[in-house]
Amino acid sequence: MRAQLEEVLASLRTARYADVRVTTTHHQHVKVRNGEVDHLSSVVDRAIGVRVLVGNGWGFASSSDISDSSLRATALRALDVAAASNIASTQTITLSDIEPHVANWSSQFEIDPWSIPIDRKIDHLLAATDPMRGDPRIHQASGEISCYRQQKTFASTVGSFIEQTTTEMGGGIEAVAIADGEFQRRTYPNPFGGDFQAEGWEFIERLDLARKGAQIREEALALLDAPKAPAGRFDLIIGSSQLALQVHESCGHPTELDRAMGLEISLAGGSFLQPDMLGKFRYGSDLVNIVADATVPRSIGSFGFDDDGVPAQRFPLIDRGLFVDYLTGRDTAPLLGRKSNGTVRAESAARIPIIRMTNVNLEPGATPLADIIADTKHGIFVDTNKSWSIDDLRLNFQFGCEVAYEIENGKLGRLLRNPLYTGITPEFWRSCDAVADRDSWQVWGLPNCGKGDPMQTMRVAHGAPAARFRNVEMG
Amino acid sequence: MRTERESFEILDRALHAADTEADAVFTSIDQNFSRFANSNLHQNMSEISAGLTLRVIVDGCMGVAATSSLDDEDIANAAALAREAAKHADPLVNFTGLYRDLPDPPKLRTFDERTARISPAEKATSLRAMFDRGRDADVQFAGSYTTSASSVACANTNGVRRYAQITFADATVIALHAKGSGYATRCARRVDEVDILALGDEATTKATLHLDRIEDIEPGAFDVILEPPALAEVFEWMTMIAFTGQAYEDSSSFLVDRLGQRVAGENFTLADDAVDESFLPFPFDVEGLPKRRVPIIERGIARTPIVDKAYADRLGFPPNGGAWHLGSPEHGTPFHIDIAGGDATRDEMIRSTKRGIWVTRFNYVNGLLEPKTALMTGTTRDGTFLIRDGEVVARLPNLRWTQSMIEAMSNIESLTKERRRVATWYNMFGGTIAPTVKVRNWQFTGKT
Repeated sequence: MRAQLEEVLASLRTARYADVRVTTTHHQHVKVRNGEVDHLSSVVDRAIGVRVLVGNGWGFASSSDISDSSLRATALRALDVAAASNIASTQTITLSDIEPHVANWSSQFEIDPWSIPIDRKIDHLLAATDPMRGDPRIHQASGEISCYRQQKTFASTVGSFIEQTTTEMGGGIEAVAIADGEFQRRTYPNPFGGDFQAEGWEFIERLDLARKGAQIREEALALLDAPKAPAGRFDLIIGSSQLALQVHESCGHPTELDRAMGLEISLAGGSFLQPDMLGKFRYGSDLVNIVADATVPRSIGSFGFDDDGVPAQRFPLIDRGLFVDYLTGRDTAPLLGRKSNGTVRAESAARIPIIRMTNVNLEPGATPLADIIADTKHGIFVDTNKSWSIDDLRLNFQFGCEVAYEIENGKLGRLLRNPLYTGITPEFWRSCDAVADRDSWQVWGLPNCGKGDPMQTMRVAHGAPAARFRNVEMG
Repeated sequence: MRTERESFEILDRALHAADTEADAVFTSIDQNFSRFANSNLHQNMSEISAGLTLRVIVDGCMGVAATSSLDDEDIANAAALAREAAKHADPLVNFTGLYRDLPDPPKLRTFDERTARISPAEKATSLRAMFDRGRDADVQFAGSYTTSASSVACANTNGVRRYAQITFADATVIALHAKGSGYATRCARRVDEVDILALGDEATTKATLHLDRIEDIEPGAFDVILEPPALAEVFEWMTMIAFTGQAYEDSSSFLVDRLGQRVAGENFTLADDAVDESFLPFPFDVEGLPKRRVPIIERGIARTPIVDKAYADRLGFPPNGGAWHLGSPEHGTPFHIDIAGGDATRDEMIRSTKRGIWVTRFNYVNGLLEPKTALMTGTTRDGTFLIRDGEVVARLPNLRWTQSMIEAMSNIESLTKERRRVATWYNMFGGTIAPTVKVRNWQFTGKT
């Protein structure tokens, strides 16, 4: 394949820069619901994509036909599109420097997801979900397992030739209880398909879904009769799973430099974090340390090289509460006078690479979660996301969670239903006065981060412990 | 985009490989996306894609596989994967088999040659003209301008065969001034109905309105005037949480136990309507069922969820053509949300408002808060204005709202006669067509 791609790149010599990607992506999804196989599908997607920079115009073309003739035609289309871009290009494009890399990278797994027969996956889910059924208020007991593999080849006029393979698995279970017009959903370990890691079947076994089924059923039923979470201002302890999504929405997205520069405004919006705030703006309290780390082992936010051919990196975004860096790519980093930190990715070769989160992690603190709860006189504990919304600058957010518990005099108390909390991003993170230690820290895989136009779904992840925030508005 | 002959050749190979009762969909899309920001065309993309989805029915059990590779080996692999999936599935409840002996679909104007042929250069030239005009108003533009030509073909082993070509043009424009922003959008089957310069002017008008009068308000209940893009975002969520076959079957939809009952005001009618040629017409769903107008809420009365064949049989509803992906877990989705208009104008709504808020669009709506009441939240964006004593008097900051849509549908005071089409990112077939509506007591719960 290398010779083919290099031949195409040679044909693009009028371009200032060009790259070619080829991807093959396999998905398998198994879902059982109420004792039946509800969904079982298998998808194979192949794509080629050619990106060229001519003058100050980018051109991108892709095709699902990966033949040699299609590759050559796609390259010509990319040149045609770049020529059109120059008609309405009003800015100068500078690419940050990069070394050529010839490399082969793969994520690691012990048991190949595709080596496990479908029967076994179904049986695994039925064993987890059957004990959840039986109560007439349980309308749905379901479980899902997903397998994903993407093989990607990248070649560029810089001289890079990089082959990467990522293998991932995801899984989770869900109980839906309905009675007297009340609807409650409880999931494990996370909603929307569960948790996802760059691992094999060993990850699904480690989730131990069968052991958790009865617990989430009881919690879903208990939520039907639980009092509604109160409105007002409370000290709020947020569990690891929900805090991961809080990091995603209120730190990950606003630190994407393309958003900050207005390049994503047309769909998802911009960012309150502007370049003149770098190194000066107090984003959070001293306890808040957030890093972007594309090198975390076994995480779906990790890779060897981004789709600019830049090596995976770890760097701070928020350092002891101070905003210090953005997620950047080769064509945006020079706007700050910096080099790319390697966060440009596309969901497949069919789509243009854009800045995406990697593993954007809130670093653990030093206090055990139990001590934080014990230190809270009157508060609320929430966990597991149910709803999410944030404004177009990533300032005003509202999250709903599946569960909440009262905290009175340092002890977890009554279960509460339908908790909502809201805030303004920097005020919220500045109110953080306790970050739990590594015992509560976990990396959560989110395979469905939407961005771009046309929309691209990217696989990202977030490490987060539990943490406490003072005087947060609820309800 | 593939011809009818090419498409059926691929489908016939797939059905032959299936070697059992089966249906298949082949979609081929040529599209060009021109994306701009800071009055600069920064992402320009040409995508040619094709995809085959094959569904097999073995002993009443369903299996689905998809491939973008169309050689015999990959199609054979897809067929084997689909059969393997069916082997492990449970029989579909009450399933009477794939469609057969269907009437012909309606003849609709779905394709426009000029839209299929417009070049990236012509689109870039239009955008450049808009950028240049924006300089005079001290605004910069961000947005996207998309055109596509697609072929959609489906067939099954019972003899159903369908083919259609569609074109689509869609542009969104945000005008950004130092003190405010404005928004405009159009979509159509014909690119000539999407006037980039006019959209730029409309967005600029919104972006520069009342720049010298920016007020602040405390959250609370307000009468609100919602333009079609705001309504479209809310009803995209309603589609997911309430109108699909799956939401009805799992009882999360507020329609459950309320069919035939009042769920909205008498002035509110919402249908799945793919046959209205003034909207975004398409003649059949991908199981081959001819499309027709299907009221979901008719003069405030709940009528039906939208279902595919499997869930029509399972739930006992008449089939209503909601299949857009074979084997989709939604089991039926209304892809053509048609909200009936009234007889008002936007100006009349403003004049009749003592104290209210005029909203151009919403941002990041979420409908998962409490599905049974369709409680949703979101923020306003790109043009939020205060109305006082019948006049638009000031620009407002973006506001958060948290509102039950069932309540809102019962609190509609008036609807405009004029309706506009709004595209969705997930739906190549349709979108939403909606009037501007005035709703009493909309709950604003925060501000930025």
